[in-house]
Amino acid sequence: MAAVLWNRTPQGPLEYSRRLWLKLLLFATFFFLYSPIAVLIAFSFNTSKRNITWQGFTLNNYVVAWNNPDLLDAFTNSLIIAFCSTLVSTLIGGMVGLQLWRFRFPGKTAYEAFMALPIVIPEISMGVALMAFFIRIGWLTSDVGWPLNLGPIIVAHIAFSFPFVSIVVRSRMVGFNVQLEEASRDLGANQWQTFRYVLVPFMKPGLVAGALLAFTLSLDDFVITYFTSGPGSVTFPVKVYSLVRRGVTPDINAASTVLIAITVIATVLAMKLQAPTKAAKG
Amino acid sequence: MSTYRPKFRPSRRALLQGTGAFAVGLTFLPRFSLAEEEKKLNFYNWDTYIGERTLEDFQKATGIETKLDLYADNAELFAKLKSGNPGYDVIVPSDSWIERLVGANMLMPLDQAKIPNMANIDPRFADAVFDKGRKYTIPYMWGTLGIGYNKKVTNGVPDSWKVCYDSDQYKGRVSLLGDARTVIGLALKYLGKSLNSTDPKDLKQAEDLIIANKKNLKVFAPDNGQDLLASGEVDIAQEWNGDILQVMGENADLDYVVPTEGTQVWQDTMAIAAGAPHPDNAHKFLNFILDAQAGADIAKFINYATANLAARKLLDDSYNKNTSIFPPEEILVKSEAQIYLGEDGQKLFEDSWTRIQAA
Amino acid sequence: MESWRDNRFVFWLLSLPGTFWISLFFIVPLSVLWIYSFGEKTGITDVAITWTGQNYGRVIEPVYLQIMWKSLWVSAVSTLICLLLAYPIAFAICFAPDRWKPILLLITILPFWINLLIRTYALLAVFRTNGYVNKAIGWLWNGIDWLFGGQHPFQPLELLYNNGSVIAGLVYVYLPFMVLPLYATVERLDKSYLEASLDLGASQLRTLLSVTVPLTMPGIVSGVILVFIPSLGAFLTPALLGGANAIMIGNVIETQFKSANDWPFGAALSFVLIYATFGILALRWAITARSKGVEF
Repeated sequence: MAAVLWNRTPQGPLEYSRRLWLKLLLFATFFFLYSPIAVLIAFSFNTSKRNITWQGFTLNNYVVAWNNPDLLDAFTNSLIIAFCSTLVSTLIGGMVGLQLWRFRFPGKTAYEAFMALPIVIPEISMGVALMAFFIRIGWLTSDVGWPLNLGPIIVAHIAFSFPFVSIVVRSRMVGFNVQLEEASRDLGANQWQTFRYVLVPFMKPGLVAGALLAFTLSLDDFVITYFTSGPGSVTFPVKVYSLVRRGVTPDINAASTVLIAITVIATVLAMKLQAPTKAAKG
Repeated sequence: MSTYRPKFRPSRRALLQGTGAFAVGLTFLPRFSLAEEEKKLNFYNWDTYIGERTLEDFQKATGIETKLDLYADNAELFAKLKSGNPGYDVIVPSDSWIERLVGANMLMPLDQAKIPNMANIDPRFADAVFDKGRKYTIPYMWGTLGIGYNKKVTNGVPDSWKVCYDSDQYKGRVSLLGDARTVIGLALKYLGKSLNSTDPKDLKQAEDLIIANKKNLKVFAPDNGQDLLASGEVDIAQEWNGDILQVMGENADLDYVVPTEGTQVWQDTMAIAAGAPHPDNAHKFLNFILDAQAGADIAKFINYATANLAARKLLDDSYNKNTSIFPPEEILVKSEAQIYLGEDGQKLFEDSWTRIQAA
Repeated sequence: MESWRDNRFVFWLLSLPGTFWISLFFIVPLSVLWIYSFGEKTGITDVAITWTGQNYGRVIEPVYLQIMWKSLWVSAVSTLICLLLAYPIAFAICFAPDRWKPILLLITILPFWINLLIRTYALLAVFRTNGYVNKAIGWLWNGIDWLFGGQHPFQPLELLYNNGSVIAGLVYVYLPFMVLPLYATVERLDKSYLEASLDLGASQLRTLLSVTVPLTMPGIVSGVILVFIPSLGAFLTPALLGGANAIMIGNVIETQFKSANDWPFGAALSFVLIYATFGILALRWAITARSKGVEF
């Protein structure tokens, strides 16, 4: 299959990925996206305490990061929050996306506008509003211990993530051919079976895109997390921002590099595991 | 290395309690019902603004386990406490914010009898304009605002705020800080006024001065002026002394000077938040911070000027005689602390700051 | 599209979790803030709800209008650049062999899993006066200059601390919010339509404008919403990458909730953004209703 990328057959009119100017544009875009990341990784091996000038090579930052329990805890917290929030917001967002695509109902435009509110509102407004609310209902002040003290943060992250998912899922569903669904019913499938075997496979790219968005939003959120956190729930972004006054140290770069490495390895592994089943199907 | 983990691991009790709290949902949980304080403390601080092993040493000395939480600036701390204290005991607010916090009932008065080590405080800091009689705070670290500069590029020592506010000598090579009170306050200082002036005429004059000089500025840097200086992006950076000191250690061309007009002397303090769940432990913690050895360990690690005189006596001249940490007396005389100006006074500065940035 | 009455059970099943979550954890907390926007500050923490309009009156003071206008055009330009960059990326991903799709998606999204602040600092290191971009250009320039006699030594470009760098920074933050919705719609694009158009003699450009773009319009609209609206409220990027007049409306709002301690005014500014968005959504609804074309 990979041969498609390098074959020397004449270029078809739809093979956009083989056009030179498009290749150049993509190359420039990815260069723009990755050059700062390359610098960041390079500085994770720097002997200087600051991310400004190159002084010499060392692996010490990785040792420092590994031996910093606060940093590891912050990382764990961030991943737990992002995982839970992504799961729930993909589910809820997918359902809302389906509903908005599928049904006509009175007040739909207003309903849609309300669902879009978390995207519109500046983060800080949502942060302080949720903080006041959580304090009021006693969630931030109840000493429930780890990891339940991450609950309010997760709840807040779901609230601002799932509207993003629903917008993506809905724009995906617009192209669905309703006749497919009718065909499925005619062939005797019930509503659930039709949903499971016809709608969901079609939704999948929308769900994947939505889940990736939700994960990205959650992992990088500082403002809302800061305001909805109680004692003992420092996340990675909160840790990084509180470092600003003293300067960001290279062990943070080391930790970020490790995150990139883990993601890449996990994806490659997942693809290796998935490949045989696909081949069997094909 | 360290295996100390300042975090509670979930116990069965906590788990049950948590499930209950989530199931009940909209209820208030009673929380200060324990007769004797549990051996815990929630400490809310900037990152790397405490000794490397201070929290561990505190636990060894008292058996109290400290959980460290982090915030990035005073404004954030204030906003966070505004709706109520979610359970922090000790916080680290700075000078001008203290009266605002007190006015908003966010601080708990100290029981000085529980802090015998207050005797270790440098007499200069035994009292403070923003906290008369040290009723709410103990002094922690202090320092100055000044100019970080690149010796190789500047003509001599830029020892006047003129280079920041009224000069095209370093056109496009100057960064100022990004905070209303500080930037406008130091412009007032350059004009020979008090940095706490709320006279609209003074403020207008300072505002016009900064706006007229904007063409010579590169950027209002939110606390990263030292990076701009170290990377050669600017030659003059208005900054906190500690920040410049960090980059000076890595680049011998950089230096720090406090302008002759005088400057703002800053002071960070430790205080107990109102509604703190562990006030007794918090007092023990403040007392521990003022201990000579603990104070010396902190000062050595974070390299700021400590207000703990007993701690200074344990440290050598490389710290005590460093003029970037401890500014010369003649400049201190001309300098001021930033104090709270009331909500109306603060608003004057903030509105002026918005106009300056938009101009 | 069917009426909700035809399938009440499914309708409620789909709508309840989202409605519950948004009502309890968003509308309820936000309504308190909305009431605040009609209040007056009477002390350090006290706000009296007097149903005054003065906070909204302040919003239309020239200085805030000026800042808002700037935020609008900066966000609009960023959104446009995001769209121009993301469209080819989405096509490249969707037209790639199935095996490569997840990798390409991941490569696109990976940079955004690095903390924004760290990423922005890295961006500074690349684009500053002594940064790597300037070094590379300078090396090239001086090489060419040497060939021609060395008359014009390289002057480093001022790439940072202006509106351009804020726009670049916003693109750097919000690009995935454009790529992902586009990916989700381009992926289901039926290639035979494009082939038909080309076979019938339409040029590539004509095909793009009259077939591809209309068919992927839902994705474009979603992407534009997801990029334009959040970038209006951005505050970190302008603060770090902008010059001495980088202030955007997000910075003003942030200040009101923090050091200025004026929650009523901050709330009013936030809700002005919301009202504006409602206006845009209503406009979109009106246009769709009139054209009766593709429904988004």
